[in-house]
Parts: sequence; C-alpha cells; structure tokens
Amino acid sequence: MSAPAGYRVAVTALGHAYRGDDAIGILVAEALRELLPQDVPVFIDRGDALAMLDHWSDREAVVCVDACAPLGEPGRLHRLDLSVDTLPPAGAGTSSHALGLAEAVALSRALRLTPRKLIVYAIEGRCFEPGAEPTPEVAATVRSVARAVAREVACLRQTI
Amino acid sequence: MPTRTLHVDYLARVEGEGALELRIEDGRLVSTQLRIFEPPRLFEALLRGRAHAEVPDIVARICGICPVAYQMSAVHAIEHAFGHVAEGQLRALRRLIYCGEWIESHALHVSMLHAPDFLGYPDAIHMAREHAEVVRNALALKKAGNELIRVLGGREIHPVNVRPGGFYRVPTRAELNSIAPTLESARDLAVRLVRWVAGFPFPDFERDYEFVALRHPDEYPFNDGRLVSSAGLDIDIADFDRAFEERQVPYSTALHAGIKGRGAYLVGPLARYALNFDRLPPSVQALAREAGLGPVCRNPFRSIIVRAIEIVYACEEALRLIAAYEPPRVAAVPLTPRPAIGFGCTEAPRGICWHRYEFDPDGNVLTARIVPPTSQNQPSMEADLAAVASTALDQPDDVLRERCERSIRNHDPCISCSAHFLRLSVLRP
Repeated sequence: MSAPAGYRVAVTALGHAYRGDDAIGILVAEALRELLPQDVPVFIDRGDALAMLDHWSDREAVVCVDACAPLGEPGRLHRLDLSVDTLPPAGAGTSSHALGLAEAVALSRALRLTPRKLIVYAIEGRCFEPGAEPTPEVAATVRSVARAVAREVACLRQTI
Repeated sequence: MPTRTLHVDYLARVEGEGALELRIEDGRLVSTQLRIFEPPRLFEALLRGRAHAEVPDIVARICGICPVAYQMSAVHAIEHAFGHVAEGQLRALRRLIYCGEWIESHALHVSMLHAPDFLGYPDAIHMAREHAEVVRNALALKKAGNELIRVLGGREIHPVNVRPGGFYRVPTRAELNSIAPTLESARDLAVRLVRWVAGFPFPDFERDYEFVALRHPDEYPFNDGRLVSSAGLDIDIADFDRAFEERQVPYSTALHAGIKGRGAYLVGPLARYALNFDRLPPSVQALAREAGLGPVCRNPFRSIIVRAIEIVYACEEALRLIAAYEPPRVAAVPLTPRPAIGFGCTEAPRGICWHRYEFDPDGNVLTARIVPPTSQNQPSMEADLAAVASTALDQPDDVLRERCERSIRNHDPCISCSAHFLRLSVLRP
C-alpha cells in the first residue's frame, strides 16, 4: 500500500536565520505553514546532507527552497527541476559534516535514494553577512515564493 | 642549496582551520609545521562571570561533532568543585549519551572520511557510487548515535538537557527501550564495518607514541578514571599541570601540548585502546583479534579499525546500560556552590578533553581552561607527517600532499573533514 499523498511530498527549507539573505528559505518555510496541507512536512535544514537524506527518505517528491549566490537581481526566483537541470557544486570550503544541497543530491543519487521529483526554488541573495537582516528586496519575496511553492506542492500531489 | 617548500594552504570550515608546510633542503626534510590558524574563539574568556549552570550549554558550542564531550567534562568539573560525584543511574545516563556521540562521530569518520583513502576515492560521494551499501550503513549508524543523543540530550547537535548534578529531564524506561532495536541493528552494522575495514591495505608504518588516556578500574573509559600513559604516567586528573604543559608556537593559534620532559604524546582511539584493551568485553576483544589487532596498535593507519571496534563497544555498552536502566528518583541532584576549583576529564571520540574551572562563592566562573584533544595531538601529528613525508620526498607534490592528507585523517575527524578540501601551492627555488 502506498503512503498517503501528503506523506509522499515534502518541503526542505535551507538556510540560516542570522546570515542575511540566507534566511529566505526559513522565512518561506514559516509562511508555508499557513499555505500547505498539514500532512505535508516542512523541514528546516542548515545544509547537513545527512539530515537532508533522512528527510527525503521514502518521499516521492521534494521541493527545496534555498537562497542562491547573487546573479545580478536580488530576489529573483529560479526554479530548477533536477530531473533535467543540474545544480552547480557548492563552493570550496565545505566539510563532510556540512555538505551543501548539491552534494546532498549527488550523495542521494549515488545511494539511489533520490526522490522521483526534486524541485529547487532558489532565490538570489545579495548579502550573506553574519548577523545581518535579509535585504528588503529579498525579504519582499517571501509571500510570493511561498505561494509558488504551495502551487508546486499541490501539483505534485496530483501527479505523483 | 636546492630548497623545496610544500605549502598546503588551507583547511576550511573545521573546528580548527589548518595548513601544512614542509620544507625540504638537499633532499632532506628539515621542518614540518601543521598550522592551526583559526582565529581565537575565546570560549575560556567568555565563560568568565557566567553562572555554573550556563557552562554546559556554552561549551557544547565548541564542537558540532562532539558537544557531549565538552558538556561531560564541564559538568564533572563543576560537580568536582562543589563536592559532588555523579552516581547510579545518573552516571549511567552520562555514559549512555557518550555512547551516542562515539557512535555518530566514529561512524562519520570511519565510513565517510577515512575509508575513501584506502579505496582510492576522492570523497564519500564517489565511494558511494560503488559502495552504496557501506555508505547507507554508515548513515544508519550515524542516525542511531544521533537518536541516542536526541533522546537523552533533547536534540542531536548541541544537546540542551545536560546540567550540573544530572539532567533537566531523564528518559522513561519505555523511551530507552524503544531505541534498543535500533542499537541492536547498529551493533550488527558495526561488526560488519570492522570486518570490512580490516580488509583494507595498510602501509607498514608504526610510530613509538606515548599513549595517554583515562583508565578506570572496571570500565572502558568515558567519563571517569585516572590519567595514565604507556610510559608509566598514572595521575589524578587534577594533577594534569604537574605532568603536562602547553606552549605557544608562532605558527599556530592552537596551543601545543606535551608531557613535561618527554614531549609529544597521543590521545584518542589508539591510546584508549592500547591502555584499556583489558577493559573491553571478551566479545569485542575477540572481534579485534579477528580484525588482526593485538592489544596494542601503533600503526596510525589502522586507527580506522580501532574506531570501528569502538563503535561496536559503544553499541554493546549502550544496550547494557539500557537493559539495566531504572529511572532515577530525581533528574538532578541539587548542588551547593562554593568558592573552589574543579577538574573534569572525559574521553571525547578524539581523545581526552580536560577542563578546569575556578568558581566564586555564588558559583560563577572566575577562570576557565579547556584542553581539547586536537591541540594535544598536534605535535604527534607533525611527527607523523614528518615520518610519512620522509619516505616520499622524491615523489611529485600531488603524491606527497595525498600522503600527508591521509596522515592527518588518521587522527582527527575535524581536521580530516578539511583535509579533503586542501588547496596546495608549491614554492621552488
């Protein structure tokens, strides 16, 4: 017997509340609590690949929300479907107990634990300084990103 | 004079950022420096003036992999200062949470950091493509250790349930019983891990370390015991400064520790194992022998087997403690602060973690001193690096670097994390 639809879809929000725009994933996660059905879990991860793999275990579809490096337009939303798109590897300086999303995806693929659908919502940041507040242009996107993620989840629940 | 200097510039995002420099003159290695250049973290200074009850949660932040070690050394030091000795089930619960930390820390190091070295992979992700089951089992082991810490500590990383005198809340018997099946599976996985790593090809390399570890009359050590060494040292932990000294070196923000009059020593799994083999249960001793280990192992590359053996022990000890568990009458024994100095020393996964605190009459910290295992092992790691590099001086830089990285990874999971991401620059005359 397959798991209920809600269980088979999850959201992983990545980020750090005290690193400027890196908080966007966490802010979106908070907004999603009002928008998602209660049976869709929202996990907040700090970038620990092992925790992410654990949270993705047995899921059919996962939506990840994270800040991404500046590309010229702070607050711009990028949607990546990892069945066709690829994530750039995280920058140097990572360690095994804090692998990034790209490494978590690579590890999950190597272990054949990747959810059938893995969608990434990446919001361009501008400032990632320790102790900084999110910049206004990034903070202003919280509601719209949350609504987009909620629509994605609804769609995934229909199709998987 | 032909000079060749090999710089390994940067070990990033670790509990101690490091670099390595080898200087070679006329085909001879003339200096080896393992540099820890992480900015001072000032934990000892920021503890001053804080209430004793705050100390365990502050020192837990020193390390994300072994926060329990810092909490345990701190609470024992506080209790020592205030004239209390943890006993009964509260003491047993502290051993139990330590089991969780050894399991998760060793599983990470053995399977994800160290094993790729022996199989020729750059990292665990590449290894996972051909050894998926091993990596999946490692994740299961790590999860089992994390679960034990979560049940006892409230959360896996930087647990918040440890306090001077005991815990804020103790688990019910049902809560502990519920994780026993997970630990039984973990023990089986750990036994398989021992057999797997025992089959790796190991360099024929030994060093004449002076091993230092805790030794307890009855137990393989976690929280309690005298400080002993393979050269005959046998002292109370309060006499640490009588036998050991720390010194500043110009190229490192970490202090280097040494035994007075003798110098470098080694703490951690090899030392614990060599000094406490007779404290392991017969089943674990037999497994060690099956894996090709004698009662003493001086080959640092074989430390991977010793760590795997310690995972098995930690699983068995956790199951024994859970089976014997009776919830204590109180979660914590009240302490009466007094102006005093207290000492704590416990066995972190990487070796002894020694703390000393001085308190005012209200139990506030006047001074704090923390000697972590990494700084104690720095001189021995440098000596290892010199010995390993000396056998490969005629090799290209990338080969020399690879051998040095492996040598670092033999000892310390935090340094090892970074050693996978070394950047190398070579200066030639």
